[in-house]
Amino acid sequence: MSIILISSDHYETGRAVAQQVAEATGYAFLDREILGEVASASQIPEPKIRKSLERSSSTVGFPAKVRNRALASIQAAAMARLLDDKVVCHGLAAHLYVLGVSHVLKIRILCKEEERVSLITAERKVGIEKARKIIKKQEAADKRWSLDLFGRDETNPSQYDMVISLSQIETDEAVNAIVETVSYRKFQSMTYSIKCLRDKELSIRVKLALMEKYNDVDVTADGTTVVVRTKALRREKRKKTESIRAVAGQIPGVSYVEVHMVKDIFRQAAESA
Amino acid sequence: MAEGLEVLLLDDEPIVGKRLKPALAKIGCNVEVFEDPKKALERIDQKEFDIVVTDIRMDEVDGLQVLEHVRQSSERTKVIMITGYAMMAVAREAMEKGAFDFIAKPFKPDDLRKVIAKAAKALGSNIQFEISETDGP
Repeated sequence: MSIILISSDHYETGRAVAQQVAEATGYAFLDREILGEVASASQIPEPKIRKSLERSSSTVGFPAKVRNRALASIQAAAMARLLDDKVVCHGLAAHLYVLGVSHVLKIRILCKEEERVSLITAERKVGIEKARKIIKKQEAADKRWSLDLFGRDETNPSQYDMVISLSQIETDEAVNAIVETVSYRKFQSMTYSIKCLRDKELSIRVKLALMEKYNDVDVTADGTTVVVRTKALRREKRKKTESIRAVAGQIPGVSYVEVHMVKDIFRQAAESA
Repeated sequence: MAEGLEVLLLDDEPIVGKRLKPALAKIGCNVEVFEDPKKALERIDQKEFDIVVTDIRMDEVDGLQVLEHVRQSSERTKVIMITGYAMMAVAREAMEKGAFDFIAKPFKPDDLRKVIAKAAKALGSNIQFEISETDGP
């Protein structure tokens, strides 16, 4: 079975395609409807959870710590659902964190530019030239947002298995192309790809648990072994390691926790100054 | 137990065959172990195995070539790829070329037994090994 991740330069367009693909394949449809649940579980207000996914929103009044936790909470919720397999996922930035999983088909949908222009001219009461400038600005914001938060440029076509421009291809044809592509054997799940997905799901659950206390952790999982990388001053190294082991060790699915600590040179420099 | 499931196991690291042969024999497989891919290919030409388990990265002949060879000689044989250098592109290529499954090393003998049991089921053979529905394709 497979998973289809759809991203788009225009949320509503991507959502519409994703819904049609879900109907055509019989797969479950996953989008921002889960954000209410994410908000309750994380105790971060839903508007903030939504804001964390907005590419062009201001970061004023939205501390990086909260934004990162909001994104990690979305990630954990999405990953848990992706484990069910046969899912079409859109609007949760999954194309930026579900990496290296062979049964995940990644699609980028490019909206008709004239359609985006006419939507903007109608919504913002601006002329065509101004609307085009707004689109350019939005594209730059998409790029910046994805690079800043995930280290990947979501506007780069090489991040996807397939890029479809609706300027050239009708929506129905795009849906058919996606449905056909996902049936290829190369996109079918296998023991290795399922393990990759499970490892990623476990690592984000552990990271989320650790983020309550530490915002600078990097977590990877291999089966039931979890490796946590973080920074610390020499004097806090032991305590932090023990604390990380205690928190991570309680997460269901974890049997062993390895902590790799590197010297926090910036804090050390600041303290010795 | 399996009803005499014929398995060819190919890995250029002797320890793999040494460890996996008894593990598969426990569930009733008749296992022939090869370290030399050329000799394994010769054997594949002589006999139709139910399952071929092959490493991917080997000198002279790699696992994907073994997979192609098996596909040409038998539609029925299930090929399971194992590798210590698992990557998405290789996994996709193997599946596209007709691999039944793909496992990354290191793995536990039970992991392979589960996959063998699934392959046996696909072949219409009965093998007594507990398989969770969520464990694989």
